[in-house]
Amino acid sequence: MSEMMRKLSDNILDKISMDFLRNQVLKNAYGNDDTVIAALDPRILLAWYVFFALVPWFLNDLPFLIGCFLLVAVTTLMARVAGLVLFLFVVGVFSQTGYLFAASLLFGGDTGTIAPLLVLTLKIATVSLASITVFSGLDPDRLSNGLMWFGCPERLSFSISYAYRMLPMLMEEFQNVLLSYRLRGNAPDASGFRGKIKYLIYQIQIIIQSFYPLMLNTAKRSRTTVEALEIKGYRYAAVNKTVKKMKLRSLKVTYNDMLFAALSVLWLSVTVLISSLI
Amino acid sequence: MDKKQTAAQSQKLMVFVLTMSLYGLATLFTELIPKFQVGIVEFSVEYFLFIPLVLGMLFDPISAALGAATGELVFSEIMLGQFGGLGELEKFITVTIGVYIAGRLVRNPKNRKTVAAAAMAGTAIQLFLGMVVDILKVQLAVQDFEAVPGLPESVFATEGFAFLNDVLFSGILFCMLPTLFLVPRLYGKIEPLLGMQPRTEKTALGSVNWKTIVCCAAAFAAAAAAEMMAENGISLIDWEAEWAESGTALAIGMVAAAALAVIVLLVIKHRADMRERAEGV
Repeated sequence: MSEMMRKLSDNILDKISMDFLRNQVLKNAYGNDDTVIAALDPRILLAWYVFFALVPWFLNDLPFLIGCFLLVAVTTLMARVAGLVLFLFVVGVFSQTGYLFAASLLFGGDTGTIAPLLVLTLKIATVSLASITVFSGLDPDRLSNGLMWFGCPERLSFSISYAYRMLPMLMEEFQNVLLSYRLRGNAPDASGFRGKIKYLIYQIQIIIQSFYPLMLNTAKRSRTTVEALEIKGYRYAAVNKTVKKMKLRSLKVTYNDMLFAALSVLWLSVTVLISSLI
Repeated sequence: MDKKQTAAQSQKLMVFVLTMSLYGLATLFTELIPKFQVGIVEFSVEYFLFIPLVLGMLFDPISAALGAATGELVFSEIMLGQFGGLGELEKFITVTIGVYIAGRLVRNPKNRKTVAAAAMAGTAIQLFLGMVVDILKVQLAVQDFEAVPGLPESVFATEGFAFLNDVLFSGILFCMLPTLFLVPRLYGKIEPLLGMQPRTEKTALGSVNWKTIVCCAAAFAAAAAAEMMAENGISLIDWEAEWAESGTALAIGMVAAAALAVIVLLVIKHRADMRERAEGV
């Protein structure tokens, strides 16, 4: 039994190793640009997202909410989202409402508390799945172009493109610094309860210390980045209308986009029909 | 060298990029690592706010604050697909306010006492604003909030407890101590890398004044008002009543229109494909 537990915990620890996290994030960011969702026009998808991010909050019609949830679940499957992201979604949704439920039991609530909380869970799930579909299904460059078309500040779309390109490097550098601290340090004995706590404190200390070289390195890099941007005239281009037009010329609404929108509307109106019949 | 520490535009962009990438990376990891709970106390490694706090104390506070908020938004929300709509606006504004005020409070980064006090103040402000918005959010989302037995008290209790726990636990361990460790070590070393003068008493922007506080309060009010307005605006429209009364006919019309649109689009697409193929051959 204890052998099995040890194996299990080893297995879980393997799963959340640094490399695993890195792979999942990279897979999520770069791995699925050949799906149906990724090929859609970002503007249509963003408008679609705004609908599903806002409307569920203000409605309490159960058939309609379930219909919305089913639709976004299907689109999430179509976007082929990385497993870790879905896992985080499940944990997030249930910890949020499950915790509230436990607490309201503590304060003399009864099972009557479940119904409104279930509706709340359904709303949260719908909204987050819609966001997973759009933000993790879309190519970052297309996403930032779409945001720019809607008039989001240039800073934001720059940040998105920059983040996606720099992330692999940043993660690797963080890992290297952390490893070099580990190599040089002398980890305390992790046996026993006190040892475990000491070990945990030691780990946290290392993480905080490793931000010292990381900050200096990143400062150097961000200076290089900004100077390279300046050479290309970034700050003038960012506010120039002609440049923006040229950048956004690649966006095109195709039949697929219209079909996607029309199918969503069809499904929603079917759910409205069902809910009005009940 | 008595100029105020107002950076040039490009240096502001450097500070923005620096804070964004560092804080974004840190929040990305905290989003991925599961939290563990001991009883009702939540020990999360979640608090990396010391990064923007340190940079806000050493550099231009507003760039660091905006960079931190953007970094969190982009790295941990958008990249992981965890973007939550309205809720993110609130987080964006609270992080910005907390870091900005902490950065403005420090006139001389060598003075350890003010650095410690500012770090705690920034954290507490951010957490407190977050708590207020959290309570409001549950009240808005759950209809008949007061009617559900035990829910109001439980929300106030859990949120209040989480606030105190976060301030005392994460605030001291993950914000104050790392800031105290990093600010004196980085002071004078990191500024030249961005081509700037270190901040001194003379070149500091001046401490927090009424104008700053009023601006921050206005920003927070805007965040809260956005949520309130959304709630009231929609209840004016009252969708449900519309369906319930004139319901079925309208719904059938909608289904028919949408189905027609789908069919027409399919036909057009099919024709376009055929034409393309014919031209291609």
